Amino acid sequence: MSGRHYLEVWDVAKSFKGTNVMLGMDFRVDRGELVSLLGPSGCGKSTLLRIIAGLLNADDGSVVLDGRDITHLPAHKRNVSVVFQNYALFPHLTVAENVAFGLRARGIAKSATSDPVKEVLSLVRMSDYADRPITALSGGQQQRVAVARALVVDPDLLLLDEPFSALDRKLRETMQVELKALLRDRGITAIFVTHDQEEAMGVSDRIAVMNAGKIEQFAAPSTLYAQPETPFVMDFVGLSVRITGRVTATQSGMATIDTAYGPVQARTEVGVGGTVLMCVRPELVSIDGGENTISVVLEDVMVLGSKTMLHGRASGEDRILCELPGIRTGLSRGETATLGWALEDTLVYEVTP
Amino acid sequence: MSSRVDRIGLLAVPGLAFLALVYALPLLMLLAKSIQTPDGLSFAEYSAFFADDYNMRVLMRTLRVAGLTTLLALLIAYPTAFAMNRAKGPWLTVFLVAMVLPMSLGVVVKAFAWSILFRANGFLNTMLQWIGLTEKPVRMLFTETALVVGAANVFLPFMVLPIYAVIRQMDSRLPEAAASLGAGPFFRFFNVTLPLSLPGVVAGSAFTFSMAISMYVIPSLIVGERQQTMSMLIARSFLYLRNEPLGATISAVLLAIAVFVVIFSSWLARRLGARQ
Amino acid sequence: MTQTDQIFRVLSWIIGLFCIAFLMLPIFITLAASFTSSSVYTLPPPEWSLRWYASLGRRNGLWDAVVLSLNLAFISTVISLVLGTLASIAVTRGNFRGREAIATFTVSPLMMPGLVVGVALLQFFREIGLRDAYWSLLLGHIVITLPFVMRTLLASMSAFDFSLIDAARTLGLSYPKAIFKVLVPNLAPAYLTSGLFAFLASMDNYPISIFLTDARNKTLPIKMLQYLEEQPDPSLAAMSSGLILLAVIVLAFGARTVGLNRMIQG
Repeated sequence: MSGRHYLEVWDVAKSFKGTNVMLGMDFRVDRGELVSLLGPSGCGKSTLLRIIAGLLNADDGSVVLDGRDITHLPAHKRNVSVVFQNYALFPHLTVAENVAFGLRARGIAKSATSDPVKEVLSLVRMSDYADRPITALSGGQQQRVAVARALVVDPDLLLLDEPFSALDRKLRETMQVELKALLRDRGITAIFVTHDQEEAMGVSDRIAVMNAGKIEQFAAPSTLYAQPETPFVMDFVGLSVRITGRVTATQSGMATIDTAYGPVQARTEVGVGGTVLMCVRPELVSIDGGENTISVVLEDVMVLGSKTMLHGRASGEDRILCELPGIRTGLSRGETATLGWALEDTLVYEVTP
Repeated sequence: MSSRVDRIGLLAVPGLAFLALVYALPLLMLLAKSIQTPDGLSFAEYSAFFADDYNMRVLMRTLRVAGLTTLLALLIAYPTAFAMNRAKGPWLTVFLVAMVLPMSLGVVVKAFAWSILFRANGFLNTMLQWIGLTEKPVRMLFTETALVVGAANVFLPFMVLPIYAVIRQMDSRLPEAAASLGAGPFFRFFNVTLPLSLPGVVAGSAFTFSMAISMYVIPSLIVGERQQTMSMLIARSFLYLRNEPLGATISAVLLAIAVFVVIFSSWLARRLGARQ
Repeated sequence: MTQTDQIFRVLSWIIGLFCIAFLMLPIFITLAASFTSSSVYTLPPPEWSLRWYASLGRRNGLWDAVVLSLNLAFISTVISLVLGTLASIAVTRGNFRGREAIATFTVSPLMMPGLVVGVALLQFFREIGLRDAYWSLLLGHIVITLPFVMRTLLASMSAFDFSLIDAARTLGLSYPKAIFKVLVPNLAPAYLTSGLFAFLASMDNYPISIFLTDARNKTLPIKMLQYLEEQPDPSLAAMSSGLILLAVIVLAFGARTVGLNRMIQG
């Protein structure tokens, strides 16, 4: 078993003050993979990152990197670099001194650090800023320095804790493209921690969606979006239509679900009488009919430019959305519309009522 | 708008005028007096002061005692500030009370307490004999060591609090970042924690040193007349010898040292601040 | 994290605990010494007694010194709070050159040798013909208390959101009224903290006061040092214990109203 994956987290548990924040965590990453830990705050993603970095000791379980058990190694002996949220650059050092820090810490003479520092600074396009103090840099520049500082030591693994959260939206997208290309070129294995699903989908090969100290699903972004395994993943990654209903009949794997908006058909194993949550992605819903159709009163019509979003009047926790491409006129609030979607796009999860 | 701003500036006038008149002007007059002789202006008093062996010994003692006091206070205060930063709940309260209560207590009371402690039949000697470290009472009162210990005790909160304030504001992820970059505990301390805490050390040391060079009550009670300090020389010149030019000269020397400490420490603080 | 870190941590705790004990030592010694039955300082006391507290009433001029010190501390602190508020507003809100220099100057008496300031004041007052000891002392004590007030008020006013003053003015208050009704209550912790420390500093001052007293106007610290020379019996420890009690009451009040943590920022 061991050695099949580059990074292996085995059965890790962590509790703070008697409260379990993580129990039996298993997590594998292959060499050269870019992976994201995605989840809401408090889901344990930062805890897992800190355990892998060695900044936090796990109560139980082990961490194996490249076949080497690093569970009991202190952070400074792991060769795992971290890009911190807000970067944690040393304010008393210049850009070049910050980048050289890891090399100096490894006992490399000051004179020998200047070449690798120069090289990595040019890689992140910060060569002109080498002698500036940290406080004189903008957010995007600080991020580049933080990445350079983490990469110069040639880490076995790079961890990034919400690396883009301090940047504004436009800069964020540029930096994501830049960083992804850089990591790919150097073949670096990296784990991003983020609560932003777009960011996670943009930068990673695979995403582990975390909730309450557990991984709900670990898959490629497309799989995660098209076939979410749990309602949590469905909900956390992208928007969705959510309608609760009850199975009233089944026939060879096909169930009829009774909802507040009329019956719908779906493929499911849930038996008659089971309460289910029926979901569908809004962009798969149309107003031109489909295998499943419901009639709803439109509560709002939002023209968003590249798309038009219809909000249907829903009861309780239900949510009814329809995303149409482009600008649609001729629909207005208060009208009744018939929304439809394909049978194969209908996802059903059993829930306890 | 600008008239509003100008009028706001006028609010400083009463306080400034008061300090200019009842603080700055008297000090300047004192400085003037130190170079005034019946034969006109001269620095004769200064050359006489620095030529005198006894005066030089007192000056050196004052600087030495102040330096040692600052050092001792720093050695205790620095680790204490870290412990205080990690203390939570009731422990933090204990630390805070231990700082604030002595700080709000008069120097006279504390110096008096130390003079009791250092007496030959005092508490410390009783303890030493009880532990078996000495057979006979050790002479402690009237020694320079006693003075340094007592003074460090009195000024300790003023050393701990600035360091604590800096450490508390320090980003706790910086040492973590250093660790993730491969820095061991010692490298981390000397390259991250220590440089980042220096502004607190400078502020605390400057304040402690400037108070220690001018302390009067503490040496009067702990070492007495036998080992004079600059402040005691000043008091003696004015109150007993009635030699005002001499007193003014010593005052000017002490004032010069104090001003130097203020200027030097604020220069140092600015330099450290500019880098951060 | 690592073993070395653990050792550092334990070491800092040991020194921290030692520091607490070291700081509290003089207080406990004074309290213990004040309850002795003996007429010399022996620790621990051979027997416990309240006789030295009883003897305080027989001390000549003690009560006068207490009253004078309280009087000076109170009046000088109030005057400093007023002068300090005005000057701090000017420095934080004004738009003129040399604001930094003014801030440094107003706080500088904290770091000047007290005895030198005392001597300078003595000669200055003599020069201008101010012979009255009470007025000399009061002026001197404002020089003692003002920097305490300035240090705290400058820090907290630069953190104060002055758009609140503008808001109050748009709601119909004049500028001075807005200062009094909005700024002062919002900075109440700063006022309390700086006021308390200024008060205690005035109560405790020896080096400046010694040059400004006369035979009839002696402040408490001066009186205590005088007793110490003339008749050094444990009644001095009883006196000190009284001052410790005063400090404890003042601090308990401060801790309840603004919290210890804010007090140390002053």
